[in-house]
Amino acid sequence: MRRRAAVASIIASAGVILAGVQVGAAVTAARTPTATGTGSGSSNGGSTSGTGTSSGTSSGSTGSTGSTGAAKDGTFNGTTVQTPFGPMQVAAVISGGKLTDVKVLQRTNQGGRSIQISNQADPMLRNEVLQAQSANVSTIGGATYTSEGYLQSLQAALDQAGFAG
Amino acid sequence: MTIQNASRPAVSPSSAGQPSPQARFRRRSAISDLLVVIAWVSGPVAASLYLASGGLADVKDFGSFFTALGIVTGLIGTDFILLMLVLAARVPVIDRAVGHDRAIGLHRQLGKPALYLILAHAGLLLIGYGASSGINAIAEIGPMLALPDMITAVVGTALLIAVVVTSLVAVRRKFPYEFWHVIHLLSYAAVLFALPHQLSIGGTLAEGTVQRVYWIGLYVLAIGAIVIFRFGVPLFRSWAHDIRVQQVEWIAPDVASIHLTGRDLRALGAGGGQFVIWRFWTAGTWWHSHPISLSALPTDRHARITVRVLGRGTRRLTTVKPGTRVSFAGPYGIFTDAARTSPKLAIVAAGIGITPARALLEGSQLARGEATVLVRSSTDDETFLWTEMRKLAEARGAQLFAMVGPRARNSWMSQHDTSRGVTLRSIFPDLDSSDLYVCGPQAWAEAVVADARAAGLPEHQIHLESFEL
Repeated sequence: MRRRAAVASIIASAGVILAGVQVGAAVTAARTPTATGTGSGSSNGGSTSGTGTSSGTSSGSTGSTGSTGAAKDGTFNGTTVQTPFGPMQVAAVISGGKLTDVKVLQRTNQGGRSIQISNQADPMLRNEVLQAQSANVSTIGGATYTSEGYLQSLQAALDQAGFAG
Repeated sequence: MTIQNASRPAVSPSSAGQPSPQARFRRRSAISDLLVVIAWVSGPVAASLYLASGGLADVKDFGSFFTALGIVTGLIGTDFILLMLVLAARVPVIDRAVGHDRAIGLHRQLGKPALYLILAHAGLLLIGYGASSGINAIAEIGPMLALPDMITAVVGTALLIAVVVTSLVAVRRKFPYEFWHVIHLLSYAAVLFALPHQLSIGGTLAEGTVQRVYWIGLYVLAIGAIVIFRFGVPLFRSWAHDIRVQQVEWIAPDVASIHLTGRDLRALGAGGGQFVIWRFWTAGTWWHSHPISLSALPTDRHARITVRVLGRGTRRLTTVKPGTRVSFAGPYGIFTDAARTSPKLAIVAAGIGITPARALLEGSQLARGEATVLVRSSTDDETFLWTEMRKLAEARGAQLFAMVGPRARNSWMSQHDTSRGVTLRSIFPDLDSSDLYVCGPQAWAEAVVADARAAGLPEHQIHLESFEL
């Protein structure tokens, strides 16, 4: 009887592991395009350590220049912010003096630790900031580092655009 | 050795209508095997949670490899700890299938591996995270502690270390039982402290994933089993059955029967041979619970337990006043008719081991000649409950042998009987088709079991209940 249990355990374990690998492969395949995000960013940022230190480049704006004094229209890339989970970079899209969209250029995904957190948090943050027309919103619970990176990068983009809300 | 009565039963209770021991054994071992499979496979399932979240694709270099290993060891280690909680929860289906003893045995075996896995989890992730950030594991400790919910996780790990270390046999002997028990209760806190960081950090259990649902389900199952079966059911039963001490009766120089009264005690469904964990609510005894076998099947209003005075704790038990309130957990154990596997029944009992043996015989449905009983004692002082045993054997159509006299060297039998060539097989001629129930002082009982194994009796036909003396 003990042998029966042992054999069944081994077979079931092998099945469970195989199923895990299969599902994992499918998840990875589905994730790849969204993880890269739209626009110019790639998710393979060279990661150096540090908690929330801001480094990296802020690339110039693209698109037309709006009226002087107010915010410029166009797409503005934020700085790349290093989080414990990897680099985070977003771009602000400003149209008609309003923040109309936020694009994620680099998503925290270091070691696969937090890609799902990021996938979860990004749309929520986007909704919040579009509504508030500001990067000054609260962070998402359970995704503090991702949120901070997102908002910090966004603020840099908004500063560049001269966007004051 | 003397034959106390020949098998001349007044009534032979019919076992018709009840499935045969063999059929019951097949059913029980099927359930037990299923539980064993579920228990072991839960480990690979935990690892699979990580694999299914696409973990393998992230393994690209030295650092990510260690990170992956760290996550998997954490998942399996935590799964083991939750499994340990379930095993200690006294869940009825587990107790009925494998018995409380074996469940606790597995619980003990899992302790150290679970701790090692959790420590490996911490170490591997320090190495892995560190390597990804280009620093060593020690330098990674700071950034690691800055992660959300990491402080509670560290506290949980420290508690876990305390729980496991105080449970090591060598360490445990140094402390009184109560100290160990209080430390052990911290394992509930350890498990809960570890939960936030699992849910807030890694991607494997991220919000919106099936993995998270499964994982929280495991926690609910383990904590729920503890809350319901360790606390809820015993509290409710203690309240509903309202058990009080009726009388303490000395039946041998250091052996006392405690008679208890209560409400509707038959509804407890106690099987003969089961034990109950008792707590007597007097100033000197309330803080210590005692597992004690029922020495008679409960009637609606009455139950009886019999204890040997071994130390201060049991001494105090014999001084409780009539009317003392008694709370309890149980009945537990499968030293009962329910564990039968074979057509015949053989019982060997010595000393205080007579208590479950007596209840077992009382609770068994037996055909005439189905059971043979051997009671053993070194001196005439130790023959308590034998008169009752003789009457029961007569009523059940069982053959009863008594063996009195000093124990022979290297044997569990008396000198007199070994010298005239008595063996286990000469006492129980149908041994091969019998279930052998052995209960008595630990060393003696183990000697009987060793003898039975040497005689070629398969493991599932041996049932042991030993008393620490």
